[in-house]
Amino acid sequence: MRYHDKPALQDRLAAEYVLGTLRGRARARFQGWLRADAALRRTVAEWEARLGPLAAGVAEVPPPRRVWRAIEARTGTGAAPASRPAPAAGLWESLAFWRGWGLVATGCAAALVAAMALQPPEVVEVPVERIVESTRMQPSYIAILRNKAGEAVFVAYAGRRSDELWVKRIGLEAEPPDHRFELWGLYGKAGAAPRLLGMLPKEDKATIKLAGVADESLRDFPALAITVEPAQGSGGAPTGPVVASGDCFKFW
Amino acid sequence: MRPPGARSVDPAQNQRLVRLLGACARRDHGAFAELYAATSPKLFGVAVRILRREDWAEEVLQDCFVSIWNNAGAYSPGLSAPLTWMTSIVRNRCLDWLRRPNPEVVLQRPDDDGDDPLEAIAADGPGPLEQLARAADAQALAACLAKLDAKQRQAIVLAFYDGLSHSELASHMRQPLGTVKTWVRRGLEKLKGCLGGP
Repeated sequence: MRYHDKPALQDRLAAEYVLGTLRGRARARFQGWLRADAALRRTVAEWEARLGPLAAGVAEVPPPRRVWRAIEARTGTGAAPASRPAPAAGLWESLAFWRGWGLVATGCAAALVAAMALQPPEVVEVPVERIVESTRMQPSYIAILRNKAGEAVFVAYAGRRSDELWVKRIGLEAEPPDHRFELWGLYGKAGAAPRLLGMLPKEDKATIKLAGVADESLRDFPALAITVEPAQGSGGAPTGPVVASGDCFKFW
Repeated sequence: MRPPGARSVDPAQNQRLVRLLGACARRDHGAFAELYAATSPKLFGVAVRILRREDWAEEVLQDCFVSIWNNAGAYSPGLSAPLTWMTSIVRNRCLDWLRRPNPEVVLQRPDDDGDDPLEAIAADGPGPLEQLARAADAQALAACLAKLDAKQRQAIVLAFYDGLSHSELASHMRQPLGTVKTWVRRGLEKLKGCLGGP
């Protein structure tokens, strides 16, 4: 459906999105437009401002104490604040890390990076509940990434025949202001530049759309890493410090 | 540009929540705890009402506050009131939850006691509307809602508070789908005209 040149339609869809009657595929499609269209996001914000006060009609229900405890645990905001290692420059964040993975700016790698920059991987957020369709173990790839202190802070999962990488932050520190995290595949062989897999959504649980099914797009990477990049993106070659890295293996 | 609903929100509470969200963006743990204490009963109430299962609502609330902590820096006071922003996060998460392509959601979304899961919902949602009329920060909206045709108001109230889709509205109100869709659309248009703003 074309909507760009139809302000009345945009307004109606935004209203129904906010009210909640836009459902199913129409809702998912609209959310796709929202990600790409600042004017549409503004229209939605206007409707949220109109209808939001309706929430004043909802009776307050104090949530059980365990909810806050779980939130504290997931955000690291508990009474004993997690003593996170200072994100100071060090060997771990330095170029040496990448040299270890054979980051050499060869012409070939630069060309690859340029080609990738033209087609930035798309980030799609999908409710995580969709993962589990069966209790049978699916052939898959699994990665566990650790921070400098060796704490597991991030896990990723993809079915081998799926192009969706399911990711979960488990205590990964938040992005610095005006920065984003990007996820990289690290080749096992020397001389190969890391490959951008996608921007990390800010959600704790999200999915990243891979360039192809995992059997093609993850197979060559024995490890993954997360770097801090400027808000507008790295452009395809890592520029910032590494905040987490770890093995990626084929499971089943 | 002033958000159309912002004028109706209690300014002191508004400022406090804006300040707390700003502090959260600077990773202030104390402010996050204060924000949770101030807003979680309302937000949990919103989620419980839509999902009608407290265990699901707990999970949604948890996810939403983690998301609020991680995205506090993205909150823009010029665009929306803080509680409106947070309510939208919770409602969207609830609606995405209900969208799961999982028959369990349909089968297990419990009815309160009757046979028809939707039967238990009050016909014109008198509870929320009465409470809304008493809320100091929603007077303009309550007045505009009162001006709608009863059917339009009922459809909008059921959709907002109880998360009913068009087809659920049609089934609950025992009307053809097209009729219900028209009520919702016309009701929203009238509300917009009544509330003013952009």
